Amino acid sequence: MANVPKAIAMISGGLDSTLALALVKRQGIEVKAISFYTGFCITETQRRKGGRADGTVPRNEALRAAADLEVEIEYVDLSGSGYLDMLVNPKYGYGANANPCVDCRIFMMARAREIMEREGAQFVFSGEVLGQRPKSQRRDTLRIIERDSGLDGRLVRPLSAKLLPPTIPEREGVLDRERLEDISGRSRRRQMELARELGVTDWPQPAGGCCYLTDESFAKKFFDVLDAREAAGEERRIRPEDVLLLSTGRHFRLSPRAKLVVGRSEVENALLEGYAAGRARLEAKGVNGPVALVEGEPTWEERVLAARIVARYGKGKDLARVEISWREGDLAENYDVEPERDEARIEALRVG
Amino acid sequence: MEPRELPAPDRTLDTSGSFCPFPIVETAKAVRTLADGAVLLVIATDPGIATDMPMWCKATRHEHLATFREGAAWRSYVRKRGG
Repeated sequence: MANVPKAIAMISGGLDSTLALALVKRQGIEVKAISFYTGFCITETQRRKGGRADGTVPRNEALRAAADLEVEIEYVDLSGSGYLDMLVNPKYGYGANANPCVDCRIFMMARAREIMEREGAQFVFSGEVLGQRPKSQRRDTLRIIERDSGLDGRLVRPLSAKLLPPTIPEREGVLDRERLEDISGRSRRRQMELARELGVTDWPQPAGGCCYLTDESFAKKFFDVLDAREAAGEERRIRPEDVLLLSTGRHFRLSPRAKLVVGRSEVENALLEGYAAGRARLEAKGVNGPVALVEGEPTWEERVLAARIVARYGKGKDLARVEISWREGDLAENYDVEPERDEARIEALRVG
Repeated sequence: MEPRELPAPDRTLDTSGSFCPFPIVETAKAVRTLADGAVLLVIATDPGIATDMPMWCKATRHEHLATFREGAAWRSYVRKRGG
């Protein structure tokens, strides 16, 4: 098997990346798929929390796409501090929420380039479609992503290839440009047609919307953590352990130095238990109620307020008094409090 | 394949406590260390393994022998392609 050209496919398992995979593979090119783990995927987080409300476990769509097309797949873990620092200081700014899509694509493509070099592949390709997303898939940003990732001329977008300048593999005849597509915009009509032509029958519905960073409520919690750290004189950074906590529980900002997180379900309570080290753990005694954590350095008043909010979210919310246990390292205290009844006050503290 | 018919594994990988996609990431690393035709047993607590492992095997052309639940954990048998 000498000189079979090889390519690296960035896939999410959505319809576009599955079609891109099929378009390149049918040209006789050996394809290796890669899928990135960032820690911000909503589906993955749902799986960590034990599946959907109806008890089903969502599929891993990237794996499913690779399996359907019989393409080798590798998972690449991006969830370390380099990625998190990029999210806090994006060169090209944010979209509507905490989503620095252009910088994120550059980060991913740069990693894809390393894999391309390691694997001796000639190019990288993705399911990006010109004009499909307002920020990261404009003509100018597609070009920026290609340039800044170091993939100049070696980043192919098979679905929009005919609308973009010919890449090196097209110019060298590795890839037949005529058998690539000229799709642009948000309509998915041509993709549906192409799926029929290429025998692609299975893809997730609805498309997109898989990233927490594009979620408004998540973004509020994300920026709240950064702003609070800055106000408290700490570095403006997101830490790896913040990520799962940001998508778990109800969050209440007590002060720049203290935050309360209250579990919303058995699964979230169990998840919060796993984060109790280095934080205070609160739970009602004698009545059922959520597990809650307090991060930071609360004042006495803030401790009592946190205990009152925890009491309000338990079965004892209509009782005159509820005892809340407060455990923090070796310290164990009980606070006898009245459940907080001022909903407006609770709402004013809520983040996200 | 029925559990009682499964071959004795050449290597056992315990991924208990780790979540998607890490059981598969660890499986991929472990399979690379095996000889062709060798059998890997993966133990996982992430229920996603039941759907992920057959798909990963299909994608990477390794043979998926079985995945089943035993107590709190899942056991998944994979035979490395070739051999």
